[in-house]
Amino acid sequence: MGRTGLTAPPAEDRLAEPADLPDRSGLAEAAFRAELRAFLREHHPGPTPSERSVRLAFLRAWQATLTELGWVAPGWPRRWGGMGLPAALQAIYHREMALGRAPVPPTNAVGIVGPAVLRDGTDAQRERYLRPMLRADELWCQGFSEPEAGSDLAALRTRAVLDGEARDGVYRVTGRKIWSTNAPVAHRMLLLARTGTPESRSRGITCLVVDMSAPGVRVRPLRDMTGATVFAEVSLDDVVVPAADRIGAHDGGWRCARVTLGHERSTSLTAAALRYQRVVGDLVDLARRRGATGDPAVRQELARAVTGARLLELNGARVLGRVLGGRDPGPVSSVNRLQHAEFEQWLHELAVRLLGADGLLDAADPRLGTDGRWVRGFLRTRGSTIGAGTSEMQRNTIAEKVLGLPTDREES
Amino acid sequence: MTATAQTELAGVFDFGPEHNELRATVRRFLADRSPEAEVRRLMETDDGYDPTVWRQLASLGLVGLLVPEHHGGAGSGCVELQIVCEEMGRALLCAPFMSSAVLATSALLHAGDEAARARYLPGLADGSVIGTLAITEESGSWSAQDVATRAEADGRGGYTLTGQKLFVLDAVVASLVLVLARTERGPGLFAVAAGAPGLAREPMATLDATRKQARVTLDATPATLVGPDGGAAAGLAAALDVAAAALAAEQAGGARRVLEMAVEYAKVREQFGRPIGSYQAIKHKCADMLLEVESATSAAYAAGWAVDARTDEVGVLASLAKAYCSEAYYHCAAENIQVHGGVGFTWEHPAQLYFKRATSTQILLGSPTYHRELLARRLGI
Repeated sequence: MGRTGLTAPPAEDRLAEPADLPDRSGLAEAAFRAELRAFLREHHPGPTPSERSVRLAFLRAWQATLTELGWVAPGWPRRWGGMGLPAALQAIYHREMALGRAPVPPTNAVGIVGPAVLRDGTDAQRERYLRPMLRADELWCQGFSEPEAGSDLAALRTRAVLDGEARDGVYRVTGRKIWSTNAPVAHRMLLLARTGTPESRSRGITCLVVDMSAPGVRVRPLRDMTGATVFAEVSLDDVVVPAADRIGAHDGGWRCARVTLGHERSTSLTAAALRYQRVVGDLVDLARRRGATGDPAVRQELARAVTGARLLELNGARVLGRVLGGRDPGPVSSVNRLQHAEFEQWLHELAVRLLGADGLLDAADPRLGTDGRWVRGFLRTRGSTIGAGTSEMQRNTIAEKVLGLPTDREES
Repeated sequence: MTATAQTELAGVFDFGPEHNELRATVRRFLADRSPEAEVRRLMETDDGYDPTVWRQLASLGLVGLLVPEHHGGAGSGCVELQIVCEEMGRALLCAPFMSSAVLATSALLHAGDEAARARYLPGLADGSVIGTLAITEESGSWSAQDVATRAEADGRGGYTLTGQKLFVLDAVVASLVLVLARTERGPGLFAVAAGAPGLAREPMATLDATRKQARVTLDATPATLVGPDGGAAAGLAAALDVAAAALAAEQAGGARRVLEMAVEYAKVREQFGRPIGSYQAIKHKCADMLLEVESATSAAYAAGWAVDARTDEVGVLASLAKAYCSEAYYHCAAENIQVHGGVGFTWEHPAQLYFKRATSTQILLGSPTYHRELLARRLGI
């Protein structure tokens, strides 16, 4: 399977040593903010191209700039290429990046895959994987879901059979992974595979790093309902993975599916909330341009949109307040993601209603011009309540973990 | 739309030990003095409150929370007021707190009339005077521009008021009624004493019996102007923003209580051999309630913080909070009945009391639709 947009130089080429990077973790808030703003003024690459063929290269170049100048992974330890920032500066980092309209990273390296390696990997693995991952020299995808294991991830069947010793043997991996975002362009996959009995559920799952160019790996791109090919089905046919590429213990990989790093989530969600305030501002402009702001029903909807975006911001700030005060994020943090997903979906439905008859058009129709973004978002956000845990699963988790209601499943 | 500084906002919700202590004190007091049996007893009375409990609330400094210290109050902020209202909402306290300690007090504080403040606030603060604010009329509007009650100068520096006010909170027990009435210069605020000639107060039969309302008829009733003649609109709007923030906190407190009731019941009630809380249909209701309760809490306290910090977003956040918290409380109260099933529909179960309070607070000070329109206008949409 060929990959597109992969023209970056080898990872070793220009990597700065951690010691070379400025340590901003001790800066006062104002000084930190000023430095970040100055960095964005000087290095902001402009708006992210919507054209897919150039978009990835653009985002990787931006990621390289961030990494070289020490502006990546605010919550990661400095030793592994992060900024090692305290929570208050992380919050400012995300806020300023959002306000400055900095491009968003091309993969979830900082949010999910990296933290798994950081927490459960060996130093040798951290050394090898993390900095190329941060720079986006090496792109990663996740191999979690399977055709028969969606919401019930612990039912996954992809087999990994250990041949030799757990230390220096190899795993032979066979199975199918699906909904793997970025798989068509990825170099590596963080894979969850069954190493226990079929009944072992979450206790018999091992986490492996799969080289996407290894023999037996086949990537079949899947076209999603927006027409884009972002995720793929990946089949693994007797793929050999050295035991040295296992993250964590044999049969101990389940926790890699859930890892979040420190306060990354609570500090980054507030940035997403800020972005949504801007989107709501754009939505109000859309209503104005379409002459709809005199309609009392539309005014009600716009007020609801403003309310929704502000609530995301306020709830995020409440979580942040707890985190900065040294407490656990509390129940409000668990509703944040559900609220984000449902809000962005609803918001785009409203936008398409405001388009009136133009809602009949595809985003590509020239009549829509830049309003095509609403049509694209309208389709894209159907996935918001499905990906990374459906809203139904999130509600189950909230009900069980926060409210203490009894589970009706074997495990959660 | 301005984006408030995130780290600054984070501090908004970081309650200090003195806040937690205030909450604990009020919660203990209400558990003792306003248990469900007391709420039900007072619901059936005409006055709708217990004068002993009212005096105790005053001696705890709660009734005079908003009143500046030099007028005999605690000089606290809106956030402290909200903590108290949140707890009162949880306990469904029957007392003229919203009418006297919030509406009448705020109206005086924002009327721009130091003489009136010095005259009325000490009595309101120590609880010896129960005040209320009469705005709404036949139109059902809480907007100053819709006021039809007339005020005429009596030629001796005073005024006489003629008109009819509806849904006036606790007007039957109030000794001071602040009335919004129109002179030829526009809406003005007027103080009317309980015994004034031409003043009639009749209780209305209310859906929510935990908060009394009355029809107030004024027939050439003598009154004292508070603040500028015809210039009450701005001060009244500011007072109503404070009241909206307080009522939103009350709603958030009530919503959190009904969520707790629903969850407690879902854990113990078994059907088909297992707790109903193990069924997704019930779980998802409870998860949605939590989302609303947490969001309502955030919205309410953001409005209170804006009041205390005197930001230019007070109006925006007050309307946002009132609209959101109203719908959240109503929805949670309705879902609580549904989760309880048949028992939730009975008179004996408290679920109905919260449902009725949710309904009344949704309408008081203006419906969610009204506040969303206000929000849009305040944002320049």
